[in-house]
Amino acid sequence: MVFTSLQFAGFFVVVYALYRVVPHRAQNWLLVAASYYFYAAWDWRFLSLLLGSTVVDFVVARAIARADDAGRRRRLLWVSLAFNFGMLGFFKYFNFFADSLVALFATIGWQADPVTLQVILPIGISFYTFMTVSYVVDVYRGEIAPAESLLDFAVFVAYFPHLVAGPILRAALLLPQISQPRRISRTQIGEGLWLLAWGVFQKVFVADNLAPLVDEVFGGGAAGGGDVLVAVWAFAFQIYGDFAGYSNMARGMSKLMGIELNVNFRFPYFVTSPQEFWRHWHISLSTWLRDYLYIPLGGNRGSSWATKRNLLITMVLGGLWHGAAWTFVLWGLYQGLVLGVARTISEFGRPLTRTWQRVAVAVLMFQVTCYGWLIFRAQSVGQVAEFTRALLVEPRWTAGALDTRVVPFLLVVAPLLVVHGWQARHDDEAAVLRLPRLWRYAVFGMVGYLVLLFGDFEGAEFIYFQF
Amino acid sequence: MVRTVVGRLALLALVLGVEFVVLEAGMRWAGRSEAAPGFQALFMQDPQVGHRLQPGASTVYSTPEFTTALAINAEGVRDDQPIGPKVPGERRVVILGDSLVMSVQVSFGETFGERLEARLQAAASPGEAWRVINAGVQGYGPVDEWLFYRRVVSRLEPDVVLVVVFAGNDAIEAVDKAAWIDADGPPAVAATEAAANSLRRVVRSSMVLQNVRLRVDQLRARLTTPGPERPLASYLADPPEEVAEGLTVARRAIGLIAASADADGARTAVVLMPARFQVDDADFGRLAERARAAGGELVRDAATDRFRDALAPLALPTLDLLPRLRGEPDPVGLFFVRNIHLTVRGHTVVADALHRFLADEVLAR
Repeated sequence: MVFTSLQFAGFFVVVYALYRVVPHRAQNWLLVAASYYFYAAWDWRFLSLLLGSTVVDFVVARAIARADDAGRRRRLLWVSLAFNFGMLGFFKYFNFFADSLVALFATIGWQADPVTLQVILPIGISFYTFMTVSYVVDVYRGEIAPAESLLDFAVFVAYFPHLVAGPILRAALLLPQISQPRRISRTQIGEGLWLLAWGVFQKVFVADNLAPLVDEVFGGGAAGGGDVLVAVWAFAFQIYGDFAGYSNMARGMSKLMGIELNVNFRFPYFVTSPQEFWRHWHISLSTWLRDYLYIPLGGNRGSSWATKRNLLITMVLGGLWHGAAWTFVLWGLYQGLVLGVARTISEFGRPLTRTWQRVAVAVLMFQVTCYGWLIFRAQSVGQVAEFTRALLVEPRWTAGALDTRVVPFLLVVAPLLVVHGWQARHDDEAAVLRLPRLWRYAVFGMVGYLVLLFGDFEGAEFIYFQF
Repeated sequence: MVRTVVGRLALLALVLGVEFVVLEAGMRWAGRSEAAPGFQALFMQDPQVGHRLQPGASTVYSTPEFTTALAINAEGVRDDQPIGPKVPGERRVVILGDSLVMSVQVSFGETFGERLEARLQAAASPGEAWRVINAGVQGYGPVDEWLFYRRVVSRLEPDVVLVVVFAGNDAIEAVDKAAWIDADGPPAVAATEAAANSLRRVVRSSMVLQNVRLRVDQLRARLTTPGPERPLASYLADPPEEVAEGLTVARRAIGLIAASADADGARTAVVLMPARFQVDDADFGRLAERARAAGGELVRDAATDRFRDALAPLALPTLDLLPRLRGEPDPVGLFFVRNIHLTVRGHTVVADALHRFLADEVLAR
């Protein structure tokens, strides 16, 4: 039941209509029932994992808060971490490590025959596991009090707008909004509707129309360096439109229900450094990795080399979070190296003061980001090597590429960049709502027409569902 | 208050109107769609057949995947030359079908009909000349093909009639036009429908409105059809009743073509054309998942099997292209990526299969 389906539209209309007429506690019961129904619509069998995670972390967090003994608190924390990461590790990485081990043994002549299970990845497990882990750690650190009500905690974990593809929410932000009665303002409704419409536009117009351009090249079609370059640019906007679109729809629906979710993307392709990129891309994951991995590893408190080592470990594990494949490990490694190099440059470089400098560096930074996307999207490490070679030594186009790749790419991306340019200039994603009426209507009309005429409602599921 | 609301609505209407004009102009300039005026000009309404190709029309049709020069000859079939009267020694094969036969994705010389003609000609006896006529029309199903045969194609004096059945949607399309067989054509337009017809003309004249209409139709189909989308119905393990009904109508229409051709001294054969997902594993996986999500189970070859069984009582020579296409190395490359039609390589494979089929099972009899 993807957000852009008719089925989901019907589901949300019914849930929202009920939500607006029932009192606060009933709203929470409604949200938990709707969320479990939403999750069961993907695969009801994995509801037990969601329920298990909810109950275990609710009980453990309360026990941690009650315990006076530091040793007991630590042991309880390990119980929660072992449960959550054990579950995530089994469902997400079992086959990957088993297959990799067999391949490794084969290289030294051993014929290993492990028990390989057909493990299916439960949708959204990476997102809700990170949420519950951060909740238990925050309680352990004494940064938040544990949830008083299992119902409220169940809503926090399963809340359907974020359940299958984030944002990865912190309990400090969401739990108080769940436990307290909510008031829905007119501003929230206006912004919610805009975010919902803009998210649909990003998904069905931008991402789904770019998908064929990307799939043709990464699917193994004939391609020179020029084709690879445009396919990678297209993938950069496809994955952005897909994921930011989902996040915006989630935030828009939440605003309509009087709940504020954190911003997950802030114009990430307008940035001028890798550090800045990670403060603008999948913000909820990068802040999670910062707070629960990078800083505990030592962060930037040690020497320059120790900082770079910590960055590398964090990004490799961040890459592995996306999926069990060597391309994701390689992508994490690349991001860690890029961050390390950028850190070194920033130790000697001067700040960018002129507009043209910022634009030039942003364009360069976009290429650096895109090479990461090449690794991320490639079907194998071999394809990474093949495409890198094509980019470097085969700068050619297949016949008709201008017509079949470049022009469609520009036509799809241009409206997104125009609106983003305006939003970024005001550093306000709702800047469109503050435009003079004529221009506001023009943007609404453009978004509506482009979705209606060219939106691909038969398109694929959201890319991040697989993570 | 009222004046404010009216003023805002007027401003919104003005903005939407200006954007409509800009989009219409942009889409017309870019073309690249079957809704483009140049492409639409290839078709005409015909009170006896429904719609058919406009004699003498031509255009260049371009999409991100191909650019094709299209010409309709004086007889109203896709060809750059008129058919004219038969000359001594000339033998004609007419291929009836839908867009998979018309094949706007490839140049005329690359269509399987033209390739078949070249193969037949290469193997012809002295004094024998072969002409293969592409009588495929976009959007046709078995009933349209019968009416087109009766009104237009029979005059082309065929010796062999090949009816290419698209397993994907021909049964479903036959249901919608079942009444046209007994009425011997589409229903006459009542005076009360004049307004609706005017509206249709307006919609047809605008690329933006045609796209909007397509969206509305999709939405209506989703809302009114429970279960998987209608074109997949023929492949469902538990198909709706209209599939069996459509197969009966299709059998009747093809039977009428065969009887009429027989009376004209021509032989008829059936060619079963599979849908792309029947040879493309990834495509099948995607559609099967979509069908499952909508509460249905997709059986990959069910439509082909059902058509073969339904047409068996006609006892016509039948070629099933599925094994041939599926047996090709890299079968995915037989169809275009963004649409369901045959690539140049796909046309070559079909032409080879048809040539062998004609030689072994149709002409040898």
